[in-house]
Amino acid sequence: MMKVDLLLAVLAILGIIGYVFLFLGTAEPRHRHGNLFLTIVAFSLIIMVMAGLFVQWPVEFAWQEVTAFYAIFGFSAFTFLIYAAKGLRLWLSKDEDYYKKKGV
Amino acid sequence: MIGWLHPGFILIIGALLIPLFKGKWKQAYLIIPPLAALIDVILMYTGVFGEIPFSSWHLPFLGYDLVFGRVDKLSFLFALAFSLASVPVMIYSLHVKSSSEHMCQLVYAGSALGVVFAGDLITLYFFWEIMSVASMLVIWHGATEKAHSAGFRYIMWHIAGGIILLAGIVIYIASTGSITFDAIGWNSGSTYLAAMLIFLGFIINAGVPPLHAWLPDAYPESTVTGSVYLSIFTTKSAVYVLARGFTGFGPLMWLGAIMVIYPIFYAVLENNLRRVLSYSLINQVGFMLCGIGMGTALSLNGATSHAFAHIIYKSLLFMSVGSVLFRTGTAKITDLGGLYKTMPLTTIFCLVGAASISAFPLFSGFVTKAMVVQASAFGGLAIVYVLLQLASAGVFEHAGIKVPFFTFFGNDSGLRVKDPPLNMLFGMGIMAFLCIFIGLYPYPLYQLLPYPVDFDAYTAPHVIESLQLLLFASFAFFLLITSGIYPPEGRTISLDTDWPLRLAGGKFIWFVKGPLTSFSNWMDGNVKRIAADFSLLGEEKEERVFIGVSVMLALLFLAFYLIVELLYQWIFS
Repeated sequence: MMKVDLLLAVLAILGIIGYVFLFLGTAEPRHRHGNLFLTIVAFSLIIMVMAGLFVQWPVEFAWQEVTAFYAIFGFSAFTFLIYAAKGLRLWLSKDEDYYKKKGV
Repeated sequence: MIGWLHPGFILIIGALLIPLFKGKWKQAYLIIPPLAALIDVILMYTGVFGEIPFSSWHLPFLGYDLVFGRVDKLSFLFALAFSLASVPVMIYSLHVKSSSEHMCQLVYAGSALGVVFAGDLITLYFFWEIMSVASMLVIWHGATEKAHSAGFRYIMWHIAGGIILLAGIVIYIASTGSITFDAIGWNSGSTYLAAMLIFLGFIINAGVPPLHAWLPDAYPESTVTGSVYLSIFTTKSAVYVLARGFTGFGPLMWLGAIMVIYPIFYAVLENNLRRVLSYSLINQVGFMLCGIGMGTALSLNGATSHAFAHIIYKSLLFMSVGSVLFRTGTAKITDLGGLYKTMPLTTIFCLVGAASISAFPLFSGFVTKAMVVQASAFGGLAIVYVLLQLASAGVFEHAGIKVPFFTFFGNDSGLRVKDPPLNMLFGMGIMAFLCIFIGLYPYPLYQLLPYPVDFDAYTAPHVIESLQLLLFASFAFFLLITSGIYPPEGRTISLDTDWPLRLAGGKFIWFVKGPLTSFSNWMDGNVKRIAADFSLLGEEKEERVFIGVSVMLALLFLAFYLIVELLYQWIFS
């Protein structure tokens, strides 16, 4: 019933590799193979977009027809989230002993 | 056929016997109760106690029939998740010496199983309250001042929730005459109030914003192992009771949709890793509640299977962060980084948990969360769908990237600590195996779901959609962190919905300690002075005063009598 298509499995593994290599390539101090790791990450990104071109997308919502919609969505959602959190930080973040100072 | 045995009682009685054992014997004994409970639950599936569904352990009480063992597909699924998780978590905590800590944790786990198998509202309430108290004790074992006060705040939330639940149950029983716990009728006028009170009691335990603040407040303050237990039982037993009582309740879907979004901002801001995971826990429960609220077969399957997968990967994440805390003494991002070189196994386990919660294909979260998201698409719920997808990016940000990256990679903190002891690694290893197993081969889990599953997560669009979303979110992270836009962690906390309560509580305590105490001292002083004056009178002229007062009283009575008599005459003559 749950047959994982080989090609999809390869893509998924490539995705995981991209995910982990991004960490290894971004860690400070730089890993000596840092650039290699990041090249592989870039490769995996390109492959994901290309793979999306060959897929018959289900259209529950109109926006799913946009090319590489989920890539754009993931990128912008993440960016939005970080900027929103940066804004909220000014308002919500307090010193660690905030409550203690308030005597609570 | 043999008599059914309640796995919750195995854990609770097993817990009470722990003090009888010492040293190595204790370590050997500790694994027995959770293992026995798991075997018991597996035996239920094989039909040794009868075909599922069945009910057992009936107890007459005040003319009602209490049911301790209602075993059907839904309760079995949650019981399996709870007992399955208890075994690796116990292995993970075998090194803990404190008997009382193990006892509280096992009683907590046992009472959660009690909630799951409760067939009526009275039994449910009974175990619900044991669970509250046991979990508070689990928090208190953190044994710091912070843990102590967080535990107090925690129990205040849960006492309030418990009283609301009890009020709802009492009204429900009074209006329906039945104590059976099934779908709570929120549509009928006679039970509406009861249903809403019960609902409110349930969602407090589920951690629905704005009633969630107890969770990120208290969970990070417990011990290394305590947090792992806490992450499993309270919220997921609330998911179970909501799935049982409020399937298809529209507002629950929207609460779930808000619940997936609200905590992701907090998780970005938090510095304490265990608090990040606590916010992430709320977000994940949001997916489940959203699915329960949608009320379709697919969404309910999604919600329950997601609860199952979540119990495994969330405890794995808490375990890996706990291992870091165990070795370094801190779980703060500002103090950590670069641990992958010396803690390779913990790093791998954490990444497995992170990939699972982020719903990477081949990992457990992928095959379960997809059902909830898909159900929203099938239902044409565009806003819910977008919120769930946005939350997926949010989960990936805090649990998929922030937790593993800043702990194990990021900026090297210079800490060179080893992987934790073997038992902790083994516990994490089992959890990691389960995450991957469910991801690769979800069929056995699908078979256990409440409705027949006609869903394949591994379709090309779905796999590629997830990979695109996740990898391009990583790409955004890469650009933001290398350009310095990604906000660096600071030694901060973030104010949440408990802020007004905590300040008001602080003001109240200030009022009691300050003005109220001075007022009462002042009053005490006055009363004492008056009493002293009287006693002075007594000491000096005791007899004369006594006679004088007696004479005066007699005269007063006489005067009173005369006035009354005169009035009587005047009115009636």
